[in-house]
Amino acid sequence: MDFLAQHQLYIVLIIAVGIWLGLYIYLFRLDGRLKKLERELHREQH
Amino acid sequence: MSAHESTTLRWIRAAVAVFLKDWRSELRTRYAMSALVMFVVTTISIILFSLGGEGASPEVLAGMLWVVIFFAAMSGLSRTFVMEEERGTGMTLQLLTPPGAVFAGKLLFNLVLGAGLTLLTVVLYAFFINGFIVRTLSIFLITITLGSIGLAAASTIIAAIIARANTKGTLYPVLSFPILLPLLMTVINATRLASDGAPLGEATGEFQILISYIVVVITVSIMLFEYIWKD
Amino acid sequence: MTLRIVLGVLLTLVIVAALGLPIVQQPQHWYEFPSIPGLEEKARIIFFHVPTAWLSVMAFVTSMIYGIRYLRRKDPIDDLTSASAAGLGLLFCVLATVTGAVWAKFNWGSYWNWDPRETSIFVLLLIYGAYFSLRAAVEVEEKRATLSSVYSIIAAVTVPFFVFIMPRIMTGLHPGAKGDPDGAGPVIEFKMSPNMRVVFFSSLIAFTLLFLWMLSLRVRIARLEYHHQPKG
Repeated sequence: MDFLAQHQLYIVLIIAVGIWLGLYIYLFRLDGRLKKLERELHREQH
Repeated sequence: MSAHESTTLRWIRAAVAVFLKDWRSELRTRYAMSALVMFVVTTISIILFSLGGEGASPEVLAGMLWVVIFFAAMSGLSRTFVMEEERGTGMTLQLLTPPGAVFAGKLLFNLVLGAGLTLLTVVLYAFFINGFIVRTLSIFLITITLGSIGLAAASTIIAAIIARANTKGTLYPVLSFPILLPLLMTVINATRLASDGAPLGEATGEFQILISYIVVVITVSIMLFEYIWKD
Repeated sequence: MTLRIVLGVLLTLVIVAALGLPIVQQPQHWYEFPSIPGLEEKARIIFFHVPTAWLSVMAFVTSMIYGIRYLRRKDPIDDLTSASAAGLGLLFCVLATVTGAVWAKFNWGSYWNWDPRETSIFVLLLIYGAYFSLRAAVEVEEKRATLSSVYSIIAAVTVPFFVFIMPRIMTGLHPGAKGDPDGAGPVIEFKMSPNMRVVFFSSLIAFTLLFLWMLSLRVRIARLEYHHQPKG
């Protein structure tokens, strides 16, 4: 308990980085799926 | 030379014709006018009741004056475009008159309507709301003149936009408010100066802002109106 | 691809630096931030608040530019880009307003004060709200695109006036400037030390990259949806 209270800021830091990395991975995968879709549909047109 | 002249003259005639058409139609039905008058009377009565005989500080009263004027404008100034949509006459107007002339004519209409509602509100306000004092009349007069012109200018272009939308009534104030906010803030500030009795020179900054606002809004409106109007 | 990697690494480093680097009275090492009396740890919010506010303005400018392009070329993708940028702008505007209110609370005592910067971010919020209300109210695609573009231009034109109005309003009102030397509201009141500046500008760059990436993703999705609408 005391450890948590003393190092509050670092807990926040870890949570913030965690949230950011989660978001980043989500966006990254979205990007990848989009690229695949674009390639497929591009191929369909030709 | 004469051909060029007659185009401009025709343009002016077209604009005036649009204005007269709207004006005569308005005189016949008195739709917007009665709505405006009723609105102003009702709102000022509500203010009187809620003040309950007590006064409010001059600063607050200066601001409230423009609140009433703003919402009165919102209740009446969209009529000029909305009626075209309602009556289905928009298409004919598009065919007959150049868009710039249409805008100029309707702007003129709203200027007259706006001047009327501002005057009415100011008179009723001054008469019935105690605590509202104007110490520097010159500032006040210039303020309400420039203010009503700017109000009409911004209201007209927004009215053109919402006339094509679904939820016209509620959308009109929502769209108009951010656009009008610079005008309202300046005009309220100037009214407060007039209330406090500041010398005319102190309000020149406000007047400069108001004049440039009017110029900018009307210029941009004329440039953009064609895109809104064409179907 | 490289930009995306750069973004990922950069923003991670920014968060770590902004939240992790110690704030001490007398900075001895390169990784220590100076402590500002009254703020101390809470100053860290500046690394996130200013970039989001900056971005909400940039997004609006982007939206307006694509609005103008739509009016010229009538390409529906331009309008979709304009709307996507506005959507992101709204998100960042909300974030900026909230972080600003939190900052205001512990810096000046109350969540909202109607001073210049606060009022302008609020106006931006109103403009975004109005923009999306307008879009929701028009069903015909082409009309919706045209009207939105026109409105964003009109709104953009009135915004510069606030730059001139603000100083007059603040000198006219009585709650005096909170000791600001230039009287322009909650500008960065303290000089940032060099290492703080590095983190700050990196944050600005990182958030801008994030915005550009999110925008491109949204536009690509919109483009796919537009070109491959189910028939019938």
